[in-house]
Amino acid sequence: MANTRFIFQVLHVIAWIFFVGLCIEAGGIIVNFVFSIYNPEFVSKLYQKLDLSELYNRSKWIFFSMYSFIIVIALLKVLLFYTVIMLLLKLDLSKPFSSFVSSQISQISYYTLSIGIMCLIAAQTTKNLDHHGYDVERLYQFWNDGKAFILMSAVVYVISTIFKKGVELQKENDLTV
Amino acid sequence: MPIVVNLDVMMAKRKVSLNELSERVDLTLSNLSILKTGKAKAVRFSTLEAICKVLECQPADILEYVEKN
Repeated sequence: MANTRFIFQVLHVIAWIFFVGLCIEAGGIIVNFVFSIYNPEFVSKLYQKLDLSELYNRSKWIFFSMYSFIIVIALLKVLLFYTVIMLLLKLDLSKPFSSFVSSQISQISYYTLSIGIMCLIAAQTTKNLDHHGYDVERLYQFWNDGKAFILMSAVVYVISTIFKKGVELQKENDLTV
Repeated sequence: MPIVVNLDVMMAKRKVSLNELSERVDLTLSNLSILKTGKAKAVRFSTLEAICKVLECQPADILEYVEKN
């Protein structure tokens, strides 16, 4: 049990590191987005030097939709890790089957599935744009892990379903005298 | 639930308080309260046996089936 507790503490620290990193990334992308509209020359000095001015000049609609994909995926990843942190913070290993833990695990599976689907749609859109001669080579890095997220969401969904049943059994056990 | 718990009736008949029953049956007050108020989902045979022994009654005196309309 002490070993498990230690592993959970390490996981908590790792989740915090990921969360802070993803917050910085999401913030950097949003700042990039604002600068690429109002001051495009300055973008080359910013985070990841994500200069999509060519897209902006060719089609504003494509520019905004691609940036929307990037920002929404980044924010969903932040939300995902925030949920993981909350789960690890409030998880009581002596009594894990609570409705809070069950709902948090369900939320994690929904966020993961959303990220996976968004990544797949965005990757397909980028491929199409590439095919039509747009310079979107740098965008692939934002959605190259869509399939992994979908697989992960399936696994987490199975775990959340098992947890729901566990919560039911725990409630029944609590009401058995 | 169509199963009605008549524990309070038997307790009144035998003039036993909830505290006294809790001590003699070796059940916590909260568990006994869950049983008395009909919130319990299941009753162990050992619990039923202990209650029947203390209250000198049959399980049917405590549990009753009432048809739900």
